[in-house]
Amino acid sequence: MQEFNDIEAIWAKHTVEVSISADEMLKQAKKEVRSIRSKSLFNIFGMALSFFMIVAVWLFLSFQSFTTYIGISIFIGTVGVYTIILYNNYRIIAKNDFTLNPNQFITQLKRFQTNKIALYSKFYWLYTIALALAMGLFFIEVLDNFELWLKITVISVTVVWFIFSSTFLRKAFIKKDEEKVNLLIAKLERIGKQFNLEKD
Amino acid sequence: MDQKDILFKEIFDKNSKKIFHLCYGYTGDKDAANDLLQETFLKVWQNLEKFRNKSLISTWIYRIAVNTCLTYLRAEKRQAKEELTDNIVENKIEEFSEKNEQVALLYQSIAKLEENDRLIITMVLDELPYQEIAEISGISEGNLRVKIHRIKQKLTELYNQHARI
Repeated sequence: MQEFNDIEAIWAKHTVEVSISADEMLKQAKKEVRSIRSKSLFNIFGMALSFFMIVAVWLFLSFQSFTTYIGISIFIGTVGVYTIILYNNYRIIAKNDFTLNPNQFITQLKRFQTNKIALYSKFYWLYTIALALAMGLFFIEVLDNFELWLKITVISVTVVWFIFSSTFLRKAFIKKDEEKVNLLIAKLERIGKQFNLEKD
Repeated sequence: MDQKDILFKEIFDKNSKKIFHLCYGYTGDKDAANDLLQETFLKVWQNLEKFRNKSLISTWIYRIAVNTCLTYLRAEKRQAKEELTDNIVENKIEEFSEKNEQVALLYQSIAKLEENDRLIITMVLDELPYQEIAEISGISEGNLRVKIHRIKQKLTELYNQHARI
């Protein structure tokens, strides 16, 4: 029968070796920070590029029908809003403050993760509907002079792409992210209870 | 090499062993502990400007490590908690049985504790002052003392149960 003192003695005998040196760690930390920065910059750059390309279509091409301009406006609005949401998400992730005490950190993280799920599920459909509407309005004039077979091809490809994106692609993306987020929320709830028990 | 690099290396050399201990105690797995250690020091590097000397730098690093451990998810997280704990236990038996059976038993027993308790007891075993543990975990010192008393009892009980088996 052992007492806690014996356990402490066992622990004191136990040693571990850290397999990474300070130099390697410094090198790795710098590399990872660079990679995080370039990834988020690349995302923002991609979205900004799309935004300016659509604006350029508006400015440099002339269209006859007002429906085309409404379509382009919806495109610009949707891409703009999506860019802002992407940026806010990035800020939310960046705001996860690991230097807070665990109780505060868990509460904050849980709120962020719950918001993230809501954002992915609700916003996605608004985004798809807005894009479909924009495409529809844009095509009224643009496809007007096309031959019938070309019209059918363009519309079919667009519809197939929308279906593919909102089913297979979306499901794969959400599954990958949601599983992780749900596990994390379940874990945070469990740990949150452990902290709350301490307050009782 | 600039001032930040020098400071970081100094911080790493002084604290990495204890942080590795905490991560190892939490996961019971050497590779996972290594990943968590690296993740912790990556965050230390990213947040170094935020450190304002309000507490000891070791307290601040421990807090980052605790938060990193709490949000750590294993790749095979689909397993239920019990399965996961068993898995940790198996890993530990494998890694320690030849070296030190008592240490293996101790790790098995720690793995049976709640996540938060695992972190607290690892810090207690590493002889951190109670005041520092309270500051790291954001619990009042009074509550912490009660909690540590309970964890010690639980751990001793678990250790003796395992020792009998």
